[in-house]
Amino acid sequence: MSPVSQTRSPLDWVKTAISRYWGVVGVLIAWQAWVTITGVNSIVIPHPINVVGDLVFNPGVYLANAGQTLFLAAAGLILGMALGTMVAIVAWSSRILSGILVPLGLIFSSVPVVALIPVLARLLGYDVKTVLGIVIIISFFPAFVFTAAGLKSLPPGSSDLFKVFGASRWTRFVHLVLPSAVPNWMIALRLSAPPAVLSAMLAEFLMGKSGLGFLFRQSATEFATERAFGTSVIATVISVLCFTSAVAAEKFINEKWK
Amino acid sequence: MNAPLSSAPATAPEAWAINVDHVGKTFTLDGGKELKAIDDVDIKIGQGEFVALLGPSGCGKSTILRLVAALEDVSTGRVTVEGSNPTALSRAHRLGVAFQDHALLPWLTIRDNIALPYKVAGRPVDDKRIAELLALVGLSGFEKARPRQLSGGMRQRVSIARALVLKPDVLLLDEPFGALDAVTRRHMNVELQRIWSEQRITTLLVTHSVEEALFLADRVIVMSGRPGRIIKEIQVPFARPRSPDVQRTMEFHHLADELTLALEPEGHH
Repeated sequence: MSPVSQTRSPLDWVKTAISRYWGVVGVLIAWQAWVTITGVNSIVIPHPINVVGDLVFNPGVYLANAGQTLFLAAAGLILGMALGTMVAIVAWSSRILSGILVPLGLIFSSVPVVALIPVLARLLGYDVKTVLGIVIIISFFPAFVFTAAGLKSLPPGSSDLFKVFGASRWTRFVHLVLPSAVPNWMIALRLSAPPAVLSAMLAEFLMGKSGLGFLFRQSATEFATERAFGTSVIATVISVLCFTSAVAAEKFINEKWK
Repeated sequence: MNAPLSSAPATAPEAWAINVDHVGKTFTLDGGKELKAIDDVDIKIGQGEFVALLGPSGCGKSTILRLVAALEDVSTGRVTVEGSNPTALSRAHRLGVAFQDHALLPWLTIRDNIALPYKVAGRPVDDKRIAELLALVGLSGFEKARPRQLSGGMRQRVSIARALVLKPDVLLLDEPFGALDAVTRRHMNVELQRIWSEQRITTLLVTHSVEEALFLADRVIVMSGRPGRIIKEIQVPFARPRSPDVQRTMEFHHLADELTLALEPEGHH
């Protein structure tokens, strides 16, 4: 990314860290100063130090719940992407099916998640199945739209080439159409990864009995603000990690693919 | 070389490698307007003959190539390749083609791009043949490179190697060097001439470069602007293999002048 030489001293790392994250540190210091000086009740706003303390001294609570949320988000993402890809392929293979599937997918995806959760919970039960279902629905649409477009964006001239080579429909699909969709598929993955975590947490928050979303709601209602803030910190870290790893994966694939 | 002239006595159509028999092609544009791309074009190409189709852009020369490649259907007349419908030849994987667009698949290595026709034909990949062709087009050692890492000229050489890999009966070249700069293009022509002289596959080349047509082909057919018609045909006398020096002879210059004049109708310059 940046034109950096191979050898970097620890001092350089510190400098980079300061130049990039001084804002975050500044906010934390200001926050701590504000709660200390004004003496606001910790039920309203906790001390940042207490939040860090809760994270450090109760790792088990966070780890178990974060693990569950992350697992559900990942499983839902994989299943949703697989489903979206399959439907896109079916739509590609038949113009009639495409005419049914594209508007259906569009209508389905326009329904807000919050509205879907109670319906789905009644159907699947007030547990992890609904959380998984929500993540699948959220991840389905980008995979469907982007894969469908990718299946049609073939390299220039390649379509004629395959015809002249006498390729069958199947060979054309395997050697040309499907690989052409890979860069678009990676875009869908990048776009779906953070919302997958977010929607898993939202579902847990609204109807779950475990996971980060549930942990947040529970601690907020019990006025355990340190725990609630700690949960937010973990959730943010997971979302950022999901996004950056999806970006890295996309970059890696594009280097090979484009 | 006993390349038959189109003025040769009429023979059964099966004797020709490519027979474009009084073909016309009309395209229907958006809005229902009809565009006549080519009109009554008659081209006969013998076995092992290299014919260049020369004409201004938009004269329908690429259309003729696309008809021979079974990428378009004729409106009038008939096209046969090796005595049968052009589709039969592409289905049998006996057609080689290189377009102006190199059409290499960006996710495949150079070796895999050249191996693609084997995969499409469902045949085992012959690595010896691929190595041989890479050497022929001067790209040994680039097996693992990817298309985007190569220059424009190198990509076109790969696309020619790919066209040749299955030892096709007919080779179709549509401005294969059209997107290259003049120096690279001349260099590529010298190489293509050398490669072709070793293989002698029936070839139809579409180009708008007089020098390219003269240097490469046994016979040059000149077409007029839309609708495309054949207006001139000359037999190229130079012996093979041709050295680049041929292009500096008086005879080459005379023929080039003759073709250039044919390309430019009076009053248009």
